Amino acid sequence: MSALPQTRLRIFMTGVGGQGTLTATTLLARTALAAGLPVTSGEIHGMAQRGGVVESTLLIGCKSPKIGPGEADILLGFEPLETLRALSYLKPGGLVLSSTEYLPPLSVACGREASPDIEAIKAKVAACAGQARFLPCRSLGLQAGAVQSGNIALLGALCAMGALPFGLDVLADTVRATMKPTVAEVNIKAMELGAAYPA
Amino acid sequence: MASPLISGTPGQTHLLLGNEAIVRGAVEAGIQFISCYPGTPSSEVPDTFFRLAPEGAYTFEYSVNEKVALEIGGGATLAGALTLVTMKHVGVNVAADPLLTLAYTGAPGGLVLLSADDPGCHSSQNEQDNRIYARLAGLPCLEPATAQEAKDMTAAALALSRELGAPVLLRTTTRVNHLRGPVTLAEPLVLPAPVGFQKNASRFVPIPAFARPMHLRLLALLETLRDRADSSPFNTISGAGTVGVVASGISRAYLADALQENSLEGQVKVLDLGFTYPLPEKLIEIFMTGLSTLLVLEELEPVLETEIRALAQKLGLSLTIIGKMPGGKTPGHLPRFGEFSVGLVSAALRSVLGLPAKTVAACQADTTDANVCGPLANRPPNLCAGCPHRATYLAVRKVYGDAAIYSSDIGCYTLGILPPLRAADFLLCMGSSISAGSGVAKASSHLKNQDVIAFIGDSTFFHSGITGLVNALFNRHNLLVCILDNRTTAMTGHQPNPGVDKTNQGDNPVRVDIEKLVAGLGIEHFRKVNPLNHKATLKAIEELKGLTGVRVLLAEEPCPLFARRAYGKKQTQVAYVAESCGEKGDCGDCLDILACPAFYKDGGKVAIDPLLCSGCMLCLQLCPNIKARKGDTK
Repeated sequence: MSALPQTRLRIFMTGVGGQGTLTATTLLARTALAAGLPVTSGEIHGMAQRGGVVESTLLIGCKSPKIGPGEADILLGFEPLETLRALSYLKPGGLVLSSTEYLPPLSVACGREASPDIEAIKAKVAACAGQARFLPCRSLGLQAGAVQSGNIALLGALCAMGALPFGLDVLADTVRATMKPTVAEVNIKAMELGAAYPA
Repeated sequence: MASPLISGTPGQTHLLLGNEAIVRGAVEAGIQFISCYPGTPSSEVPDTFFRLAPEGAYTFEYSVNEKVALEIGGGATLAGALTLVTMKHVGVNVAADPLLTLAYTGAPGGLVLLSADDPGCHSSQNEQDNRIYARLAGLPCLEPATAQEAKDMTAAALALSRELGAPVLLRTTTRVNHLRGPVTLAEPLVLPAPVGFQKNASRFVPIPAFARPMHLRLLALLETLRDRADSSPFNTISGAGTVGVVASGISRAYLADALQENSLEGQVKVLDLGFTYPLPEKLIEIFMTGLSTLLVLEELEPVLETEIRALAQKLGLSLTIIGKMPGGKTPGHLPRFGEFSVGLVSAALRSVLGLPAKTVAACQADTTDANVCGPLANRPPNLCAGCPHRATYLAVRKVYGDAAIYSSDIGCYTLGILPPLRAADFLLCMGSSISAGSGVAKASSHLKNQDVIAFIGDSTFFHSGITGLVNALFNRHNLLVCILDNRTTAMTGHQPNPGVDKTNQGDNPVRVDIEKLVAGLGIEHFRKVNPLNHKATLKAIEELKGLTGVRVLLAEEPCPLFARRAYGKKQTQVAYVAESCGEKGDCGDCLDILACPAFYKDGGKVAIDPLLCSGCMLCLQLCPNIKARKGDTK
């Protein structure tokens, strides 16, 4: 493991409880390990399953499982409002991949508070990211066969961009190695849909 | 598929959660007995043991509280079993009484107490530093920083404990429990079956005459352990220079990354401390000799800093020690609260080395810029759709209103603090709702119409609410106790408690019936309801309100998430909002009083998301415009 180049890479992931953010994080961490990379990931549980914000991290070449403000090379937002909320973790000029499809907080769903529209979020992201990709993850997940696989669509897009020290093939291998065959096929399809989604 | 945690091939590397690595470490040490009370961030340790129990060669139990868990574990080690007891940091307070005596009597079979601390209060009511318990009780303490170390130190702590016949503290923090990293497995030991309890009253019965020599033996043991700490492979010196850094726990990870970030590797002298108590004095003396400045990195209390300052004074060393203590020539650099980070350690390091401060540019969500988006709507955790607690809170508040005092407890139902339910006015600790509520009621008994209502969940009631209820009866307190029985321990991940009939692993054959228990205590004013039956619940609460003394409402309905998983409950109906909604003008009552996450506004009209609706049908009982229809089975 130590013979490989020690490229440091920090990925910050954010989403909503119940969305499968931690499953995606673990999958990506397993993929990094399968690629022989020194990986650490972190997550904060607790009240996550009650519809709160879920944040997780994946770091390559680092010992710490935590990412501070301005430290993330890549920000993965599985929900656009959470992408915006977590933007301060991004290193200026970093890469952002985000879903465009909202899971509105209760206060927004009930019309008590407003939420920025996707164009405003894209503008905010563009103001500090070097590169950004937006995908309709929920729709891609449904198209693949399960709404939760939308997260894997985002991982597929990330791997296809060449932003990681491993490619789609290693991700696909890990999906097959760690999931039941039927679930794996849905996720492979989601991964491919994400990878092929036009920039 | 067999789990690698039980039957993984030695030499293989797996990506493990810190808590899974602790499980594997225990398995490699030959663990025979595990007791616990679940609590974030420790829960995945017992939950994994519970899930894998059919594969493993160990005895496991969820005890009713941490004191009981440690007493059960204490008994098991007295009978010769290699034992692990797990809990979150505040649980050690509950277990403190047996802990401090267990250090005297010892642990013949070996016993490790896992204390999972929570700097930053990610999921706790305080951020106490349980390394202090190691000092208070006299327990050797190990503190891992990576997944590999979580496994290795668990195995080492168990082996050490068994060798010494003394309990050992394994202290983690949330970041360590919930990190994932590569872990290379080793060969598990197979221990002989426990020898059974060996009678020796002077060793195991701490009457004063025996307790005094027990204390002396403990003090002598701690002195001999300094050598072990000095030579421990978990305590290592690296780097060079006249500036030194001592780091422990997860701070070691932050330090390693901060050194790398600043290209300072090898340019400062580093002492990594994993075996942190008793303090490895000889090793630290060697480390400090020749240093001009020493930075001490530890989250929360200045525990190591205090001991290292005392050691430096004893050795007559004149180096400058920088940590958390303010004053003198060494202003505190580091906070005594919250978590550390790479950025914080990096800043401290640069300051100590006289390097200019580095500003980290960060992207700004700029949530105050109203032209772009305005302040971002928060996303607080909320009671789930169909949660029976919402129904109980709604009914209690309808009857009692804002003037009553609501004593809360620890569980999902603490989320009832949020508007519109606002059903939590104060909270001390697990099981405090009934007793603290009794105190409030007694001290305000001269005030007119000062009703006190205590809310407590089923698991918390078994944990330490029963004693409060007995006390309330005995001391003739005046309050309404609402036992929110959702048939599981929901908040920490659906662990069983004595009252459940189902667990994630099947049926619970011996159920303690709360209704019979309350009746057995002699409580006269008792009502049992299904809170999803709104009318019946209101009636019961109104009747109880008209009475005085200790009154108990048992609101029983399974957590819908658990019911789906454990009871295989199928949902046949969902609620929908009929066209008639809004005909008599804008109302929105359902949104304002329920805060059910299945509700949303669709272009000014209230709607219910059929995917989120659990079919509890509480809302139907509140508004004639909400109706039921056949739902897709999910």
